[in-house]
Amino acid sequence: MSGKNTRLLTEMDARIKGIENLAGELKDLGKGIPVIEKNARCILSFVFALKFGISDVVDLETGGDNQWEKQ
Amino acid sequence: MGSSRSDYWNPFVETLPRQKLRRIQIRNFRKIFSYAKEHSALYGEKYRGIDPGDVKSVEDIRRIPIVDKEDLRGAQDGREPFPFGNLLGVPPGEISTFRQTSGTTGTPVYVPESWESWQWRVEVWCHILWMAGFRETDRVFIPFGYNVYVAFWEGHYAAEKLGCTVIPGGALDTKGRLNKIREVKATALLNTPTYGLHLAETARSMGLSSREMGIRRILCAGEPLPDATRKRLEESWAAEVYDHIGGTEPCAWAAMCGERKGLHIMEPFFLVEILDMETLSREVNEGELGIAVVTPLGRRSFPLIRFNTKDVVRKGKGDCACGRTSMMIQGVVGRADDLRKIRGVLFTPVSVEEVLREEFPQVTEYEIIVQRRGIMDEISLKAELREEMGDSVLKDLVKRISERLKMKTNLRFLVAPVKPGALPRYTLKSKRFRDLREMRGGEAE
Repeated sequence: MSGKNTRLLTEMDARIKGIENLAGELKDLGKGIPVIEKNARCILSFVFALKFGISDVVDLETGGDNQWEKQ
Repeated sequence: MGSSRSDYWNPFVETLPRQKLRRIQIRNFRKIFSYAKEHSALYGEKYRGIDPGDVKSVEDIRRIPIVDKEDLRGAQDGREPFPFGNLLGVPPGEISTFRQTSGTTGTPVYVPESWESWQWRVEVWCHILWMAGFRETDRVFIPFGYNVYVAFWEGHYAAEKLGCTVIPGGALDTKGRLNKIREVKATALLNTPTYGLHLAETARSMGLSSREMGIRRILCAGEPLPDATRKRLEESWAAEVYDHIGGTEPCAWAAMCGERKGLHIMEPFFLVEILDMETLSREVNEGELGIAVVTPLGRRSFPLIRFNTKDVVRKGKGDCACGRTSMMIQGVVGRADDLRKIRGVLFTPVSVEEVLREEFPQVTEYEIIVQRRGIMDEISLKAELREEMGDSVLKDLVKRISERLKMKTNLRFLVAPVKPGALPRYTLKSKRFRDLREMRGGEAE
């Protein structure tokens, strides 16, 4: 993979993990509030798909290991 | 990368070198295996004593026992939490929906999906539709009431996610669907091969030309799609026709790209092993037939580990001109359940379909029946004609069909022509093959 692609992937991976952290925090903050809990859960589902397609590739290059968020 | 990035749904994963894909698959296999052991009673019991940390290679994976449909049925079988029983991999409150198998071979299996697992399936289908050329500008008509059957639901959600306009076609009869296709100017269809042909046939009976309806592409689901049938559909609709393979339990795991020369395995969403049919222990070589054993690598609500799909496929090369690096299969031969020994000859119904669709446009529908006459197996074919024909023409047609089937299958068929409209039409899975030898009283009078 070219250096340009690697840099792009790394940048995207950082944003994906950032969204994951923010959505997780939002879910915790809104515990018991359906509009927050349910929508945050949907966001995390899309993040899961993105980690499969992007973060897994980055982790392979960097030796990291994308952990699955607990259900 | 020879193609542009937008040719791929995910250009990074789809063009990743094979060794890297393999490493991702093994790592994700370890994760789902560990998850399944911890969260699903079936796997906790079945794989007691196997440490996920010891799974470091495909050879290690091959030592893990295979799961088949009977295991799944046994793990459900009325157990709590109903109806998912010991298969469930998440708390019941996480389940958003479920689908079920058709029950063709026994009790249906109930497949629970959390929102996350459902979106994972939809993501796989986004890859499939994008590969088949579906784009935002398409109006996708799905001529079925989907009920609890999964493929069209996945296609529906994925087409929406792509940005297509999706028109569900349930609650209409075939003529109503054809009228709707014209009314909304649909550009794409998702259907079974049988129903795609039936739609075209009905259009003809209405004085319409399916070739002029503006359909540009069709993705088929639900049945094997031999190349001859695919080509007949392409001719009927003047459209590109794409195949995919999958099932309710594992999801769709291989599909065609624009080259339409075999099917790409949807790596790295799945680990697919094509194993020898006798022992299920050896990966077959390129060009060889094998049974697909599939592990979806990201479905937590319904984990499946090394699931024996019983799909018989021919292993392909991995050097498609489209630039994707995934392993390929050349085609789907049929279901192991449908492979039969008849007079000592291994027979699959798809071979009949290939002959009829490729060489006999006069035949619109057919049915194969195997029964026992005395100590001999007898195989017969009812061939429904497109239109009535004179005796001598008919006699000649029957003779030619019989000869071609003998050459293709090494079996002598009793060919009986039937009148137009005499055989049933199927919306979902067609039932064109009946082996009466397995049934009580299955002997011919």
